[in-house]
Amino acid sequence: MDKKLRGDVLDTGQEKTWCPGCPNYTILDAVKLSLNNLFKKGFKRNDFSIVSGIGCHGKIFDYLNLSGVYSLHGRPLPTAMGIRLGNPNLKVIAFEGDGDAYSEGMSHFIHAGRYNFDMTLIVHNNQSFSLTTGQATPSSQRGYKSRAEPLGKFEIPINPLRLALASGVSFIARANARDPKQTAKIIEKAIQHKGFSFVEIIQDCIIFNLDANNKEERMFLVPGNGKRSKEEASKLIEMYDYDSKKGRIPLGVLFSERRKTFEEQWPQLQELQRKNKGWAEIKK
Amino acid sequence: MRLNILIGGRAGQGVNRVSEIVSKILVDKGYFVFNYRDYPSLIRGGHNFNILSISDEEIYSFESKLDGVIALDTKTLGIHKKSLKKDGFTLSRNDFPGMGINLNIALAGALTKILGVEKRILLNEVKKKFNNDASIGAAKQGFDKFERRYSLGKKESARKNRTILMSGSEGIAKGFLDSKADLYIAYPMTPATPVMHLLAKEQVRNKLLVFQPENELAVINSAIGASFTGAKVMVGTSGGGYDLMTESLSMQGVAEVPLVVYLASRPGPGTGVPTYSTQADLDIALRGGHGEFPRIVIAPGTAEQARRVTNEAFYLSQKFNALSIILSDKHMAESEYSFVQKKEKVLLVPSTKDLPWKKVLRVNSYEHDGYGNTTEDPSIVEKAANGRLKKYAKIKREVKKLEMVKLYGNKKSKNLVLGWGSSTGAIIDAIEGLDVKFLQVVYMKPLSDKIKEEMSKSEKVLLVEANVTGQLGRLVREKTGIKIDKKILKYDGRPFEKDKLKEEIARWIKN
Repeated sequence: MDKKLRGDVLDTGQEKTWCPGCPNYTILDAVKLSLNNLFKKGFKRNDFSIVSGIGCHGKIFDYLNLSGVYSLHGRPLPTAMGIRLGNPNLKVIAFEGDGDAYSEGMSHFIHAGRYNFDMTLIVHNNQSFSLTTGQATPSSQRGYKSRAEPLGKFEIPINPLRLALASGVSFIARANARDPKQTAKIIEKAIQHKGFSFVEIIQDCIIFNLDANNKEERMFLVPGNGKRSKEEASKLIEMYDYDSKKGRIPLGVLFSERRKTFEEQWPQLQELQRKNKGWAEIKK
Repeated sequence: MRLNILIGGRAGQGVNRVSEIVSKILVDKGYFVFNYRDYPSLIRGGHNFNILSISDEEIYSFESKLDGVIALDTKTLGIHKKSLKKDGFTLSRNDFPGMGINLNIALAGALTKILGVEKRILLNEVKKKFNNDASIGAAKQGFDKFERRYSLGKKESARKNRTILMSGSEGIAKGFLDSKADLYIAYPMTPATPVMHLLAKEQVRNKLLVFQPENELAVINSAIGASFTGAKVMVGTSGGGYDLMTESLSMQGVAEVPLVVYLASRPGPGTGVPTYSTQADLDIALRGGHGEFPRIVIAPGTAEQARRVTNEAFYLSQKFNALSIILSDKHMAESEYSFVQKKEKVLLVPSTKDLPWKKVLRVNSYEHDGYGNTTEDPSIVEKAANGRLKKYAKIKREVKKLEMVKLYGNKKSKNLVLGWGSSTGAIIDAIEGLDVKFLQVVYMKPLSDKIKEEMSKSEKVLLVEANVTGQLGRLVREKTGIKIDKKILKYDGRPFEKDKLKEEIARWIKN
């Protein structure tokens, strides 16, 4: 762990139970780095609420000393939406695994793009259901053999970024878990985006689906803030199909557009933002 | 005096308008009405009908024998003539050839005349609702064409004790407003949807928000997220949607954020009979969701009670960070009840004190420690389970201050009828004049000790409910050890008709 992070107000002191060497540690570092940067810019710890799903990624909830909901498997996005409905002044960050976001909670992922709530989704994608001992997820590559699928996974993986683009997600980014500093910058941009921002972090699992690991050499950073047409973004996004061993993997903000947020269109939520209050503080 | 008038036609012809106009007129005059709505699951065509029951005393039900049939289409008379009393009247579209879209208003006019109410009152009502010459003309034409059969015009307009008309759904929506609640989140599903429509209409003015997300999973999880921020939230659904929600009822159990669920049931299993009625979802209301955690289940029996228990549901859920379920059904939700408006005491719903932007506040779906972090420590696991048990004990004590059961009829009688929910109205009306008392169970969980008391004081007990297995009977047996052998169960998707139920109860008393 980065020495600077020790004694951080963001640390809960809870003993970490990720496997030694798990990239989730560096993701945690990246999240803390980005939050600490935002604190320097004037954000307060109490401005944030976090939500997580169930799986290895979800343990991040126990390690981050922030308000929030450790929700059910697949349900972080509606929970996060609810927090924004309850108080649209809170900055909400939802964490999900690829099992949460692309399998159990897929419908919520697709609809989140169209709502465009002003909040952030970070998906830890290791292409494996690791906490349940390594079954295939919708983003696992073909041929992946697990105890549940000894014959190998037959179907093609989904490309969640392509799906996000088609669903109207207004900020789409990809990051590398092995590079916490770069990941932190991307997360920071995502949190500051006005609208629904989605960051997928490509992460190795060091225990299961080892075949999907070690993609770093194929990764390259796309500079800038993602201001490009959907066609251009689509070309970038389709460079990597989560399946083949070849092809380059673009990182960075791959698409970003300013579109009216959910909150900007509901007069009741506008009123809460003007007053800088949640419903709980409104006298009726 | 009791009249039952059926108004039938195809969906889209405006059957509801007829009963709406006439019931408003009668209620303003101080009469009591009960309006039953029967419609298939389609938007245009088919056969819809309302049975408008009228009395000069409070009523909560309709009867099977009809004093009049009003037919907007040709099918209606064919289907319902057999239920018409010998001296009953009929009105039909044939009485107004070429009337077109205002046929329903002409028939409302005709019915007003037949009932013997003044023309002036009719025209006032039609003007208030439509204010166009064609509608007013149709009302006049209808009125003038028929002779008076009854003399309901005699009664002076009620001034002191104003009678009002309210559907069960309106009762729920009003209870929501009384509680100063903030968010109503729902996915459309009959028969819960009218509450969503009612609250959505004036949401900005009423300082609330109605949101329809992609499915019931999103509904309940966004409700939990919002409740975490201290917003007072209610979700609404019917059986299938509730099944989807049960995962997060259980989430509520561990997260302990306040949550109110409105469950308006309809006949299942599966898609079942979506626009008809049943009381078959008591079991899932009591038990849906994995694990052991406290909850409150309340089943109102009239629109007035629906309003009150919705307020109680919010009060209890906010006070104890608990799950409150309001159990209703299509008959309760869509029937219109009339009653003399009393000044109801509204419970002040407590606000959530701990807000996540004031201090670090953490809610966890895992078993957790005091800070909100995940734990597998056996002593904390045990302590948390005991905590939930203690919470239920506190809820039980608080609920004792509320009307958990209500006793009607001859309170000294040795004959006891037990019933609940939407059957309440028919039972109240059916026992009139019989040697019997009726105990309505309002709180299904916690269950009142008075049930056992009343049962032990009685010689005979009869269970009346609208399902095939007698779910209240099983619940009472579980809590009291007493098995009720005599049951009147109805499960054809239609509610009890007062006259038929009365015959059955009278027969049970004699035997």
